[in-house]
Amino acid sequence: MKIIEICGLTKDYPLGTTTVHALRGINLCIEKGHLMSIIGPSGSGKTTLLNIIGCIDHATQGSVKVAGQEITKMGDRAVTDLRLHHIGFIFQTFNLIPVLSTLENVEFPLLLMKKFTKGEVRKKAEQFIDEVGLREHMKHKPAELSGGQRQRVAIARALVTNPDIVLADEPTANLDSVTGAQILDLMKEMNEKEKTTFIFSTHDPNVLKYAKDIVKIKDGLIEEASAS
Amino acid sequence: MNLIVKIAWRNIMRHKGKSIIIGVILFLGAFLMTVGNGVISGMDHGLHKNLVNSFTGDIVLVADKQEGDNVFLEFMGKAVEPINNYIDIREMLKGQSFIDKYIPVGKNMVMVLNEEGGMPGYTYVLGADLKKYNEVFPNTMEALEGELPDVDSKTVIVPTGARKEMFDYSGIWFIPKGGKLITKNLPKDNTADTNSIVLKDSIVFMGYNNDNTTSDIRLGISTIVKYKALNTILGHFSLMDIESYRMALGYFSANDKTATLSSSEKKLFEMDETNLDALFSENGSDDISGSDEKELSLVSQVDTTTVIGSGKEVDLDAGVYNLVLIKIKDQKELNAKVAELNKLFKEKNLGVRAITWKKAMGMVGSMAVLIKGALFTFVMFLFFVAIIIIVNTLSMAAIERTTEIGMMRAVGARKGFIRMMFVGETAMLSFVFGGAGIIAGAIIIEIISLLNFTSDNDMVQLLYGGDTFSPLLTTPDFIAAIVQLTLVTFLAVVYPMKVASNITPLDAISRD
Repeated sequence: MKIIEICGLTKDYPLGTTTVHALRGINLCIEKGHLMSIIGPSGSGKTTLLNIIGCIDHATQGSVKVAGQEITKMGDRAVTDLRLHHIGFIFQTFNLIPVLSTLENVEFPLLLMKKFTKGEVRKKAEQFIDEVGLREHMKHKPAELSGGQRQRVAIARALVTNPDIVLADEPTANLDSVTGAQILDLMKEMNEKEKTTFIFSTHDPNVLKYAKDIVKIKDGLIEEASAS
Repeated sequence: MNLIVKIAWRNIMRHKGKSIIIGVILFLGAFLMTVGNGVISGMDHGLHKNLVNSFTGDIVLVADKQEGDNVFLEFMGKAVEPINNYIDIREMLKGQSFIDKYIPVGKNMVMVLNEEGGMPGYTYVLGADLKKYNEVFPNTMEALEGELPDVDSKTVIVPTGARKEMFDYSGIWFIPKGGKLITKNLPKDNTADTNSIVLKDSIVFMGYNNDNTTSDIRLGISTIVKYKALNTILGHFSLMDIESYRMALGYFSANDKTATLSSSEKKLFEMDETNLDALFSENGSDDISGSDEKELSLVSQVDTTTVIGSGKEVDLDAGVYNLVLIKIKDQKELNAKVAELNKLFKEKNLGVRAITWKKAMGMVGSMAVLIKGALFTFVMFLFFVAIIIIVNTLSMAAIERTTEIGMMRAVGARKGFIRMMFVGETAMLSFVFGGAGIIAGAIIIEIISLLNFTSDNDMVQLLYGGDTFSPLLTTPDFIAAIVQLTLVTFLAVVYPMKVASNITPLDAISRD
C-alpha cells in the first residue's frame, strides 16, 4: 500500500532577482512500513522534499498525496490536522518544548488530538518513553537531557500518536557517532515493531545500512532509487 | 485548556525579566486607575453629600420658560425665571411618596448699592422661609459673627465669601447688627490699617429681573456665617427671608397675593388693554364704569408697603419663588424620578420642570465627572504607552520563540492554540500584577480614608468634595478597573498573537 505518492513535484524559491529550482520534477512512491533514506549532498533538495511530504512547505507544481490525501490544495487547518494525526517529526535540533518535561513533551500531541482521556494519555506517553529507554528521565526538562536523550524523546513523541509516517531530517547530524548509531537502531527497531513508515534524510554514508530503501537526490532530481 | 495554562505559566516563569517588566507596567496602570477612581468617587460622593444635603437637594424645580439648567452658578447672573404657582406645585409634590422634604426658594443676583457713593456691587441671594430652610438644610452653616436669626426676622445672613466680594469692590466691611470689627476676619492685606475701613451693619439690595423692574430694600445683617463644607462655592449666596427677597426683586409677595381687593380694584385688574389705555386719555375717568374718585385713590394706594406688617396671617407660599429644592428618600435612580416628576408636571400643566442637582449646579455639579474624564484620559494615555511597551515585548518574545512555536505547529498545534497560549500568558500577567495593582490601590484608598485628612482651604475642599478627604472605592470603580485591565490585555496581545500564530514550521527550520 502506497502511503506517499509524488508526481511531477517542483519547488522554486525566489532568491533576490533569480529563482532557485530546489526540486525539478520528483516522482516517487513510498510503501507503508518502509524505512527509507533520502541521501544527497547539501543543497540537493532532500530537506525540501521532506518538508513538502511533511506538509510544512508548499509545492510549486505537481501532486503530493500523503495517507491518501492530496496535500497541495489543503488549507492551513487541514494540513495541521494531517500532521497531527498522520505524521511524526524528528528534527535536527529544535525538537522539544523547553518548558515541558520529557513526559509532558510526549503527551503534547496526544493532548492536541483531544481523543484520549487523561489516563490514556499518561499511559501511552509512559509506554513510549519506556520504549526509548528514558523512564528515569520522565520528569526532566529538555535542558537537563543530553542531545541523544532529546532525540529519543523526539522519537517517542513522533511515535506516540501512532502516525502513518515519521519524517526525520538528519536526525543524527548533531550527535556523536555512538549516540547517532543508537538513535538509528531505535528508529529501525520502532519501524519493525510499529510498522510505521520512516523517512529520514542524511548525507552520512554510514547511516545507509539502516535503510531498506534509498533515494539519492542531486540538483533537485532523483538520481537513483534502490532497495537494499 | 490546562495545557495552555501550564505552558503559559511556565513561559512566564522562564522569561522572568520580560514578565516583570510587563507586570510592573500593568501593576502601575491598575494601581493608578484604582486610586484615581477612588479619589474621584470620594470627591463625587463628597460633592453630592455636601451640596445635596446642604444646598440644592437632589432635584431642583425651575420654571418651564427658564433657559438652560444652570440656575445656581450662571456666571453672568442671568435672572432666574419666577414660579408663580407654587401652591399648586406643592399640592402635587405632597402626593409623591419618594419625596422626603422640599422647600421653595427665591434665587437671583442682586445689586448691592454703595452708600459711600462708589460703584454698586453684585451678589447672589437666596430667599426662603428661614424656618423651613433650617428644617430642610439643618446645621449647614456656622455663625462666625453675630447669632443665627430668629426665624421670623426680616434679615440677611451673609457668608464670608459674599462679604469678601462686597468688600473688594465697595471697600465696605459688613458686620452684624450690634457687632464690631473682628480684625482676624479681615483679609490679610487690610489688617494693618483698620481705621480707614468703613463698617456697616445693613445692606441695601436692589433687585432686577427680566421685566426690568427694580426695587431696593435695606436689610439688617444678623450673622456672618461660614458654610461647614464647600464654603468656596456656597459662600457666595447670602440668605434672606423670602418676603424681603420678593420686595428686593419686585415680585409679588405673599401679602400682595392674599390682599382683599375692593370692587373698584377688582374692576381695575379685570380691565382689558383698551380700557387701561383709556385711563390715561382725556376722558379716561368716564370710561371706568361705576368708578369714583374715592375708589381710584384707593387703587393708587395698592402697593406692597400698605399690607406688609399688617399682622394678617398669610401663606408665604402664595408669593413668587424661583426654585423648588427637593430631597428624595432614596437617591438611587435619580434620573427616573426626575423623569417621573416631569411627566406629572406636563400632565398637570404646572409650568415647571425638574432637573438634577448636578445640572442645576452647572460646572461644579459636573466637576467630578469632568475630573474623572480627565483622569480616565490620563490613565488611558498611560495604558496606551503600556500597551506599546507590552506589544513590543511580547512581539519580541514571539519572534525569539520561533523555533519552539514552529515545532509546536509542526507537531499539530493549530494557530488557535498558539494564540491562546499568548492570550493565556498576558492574561495571567494581567490577573496577577493588575490584580495586585487593584488590591494595592484599594488598600491605599482605605488607609487614606482612615487618616481623615482635613482642610480649611477652599480649593482643597472643592477637590475633597468637602472638608475631609475621603476617597471611596465603589463597585463600579472596581468593575471599571477590571474592564480597563481586560481591555489593555486584549489590545496588548492582539499583535503579538498575530505574529506568533503566523510563525510556520518552515520559519523554525529556516531559523535553525
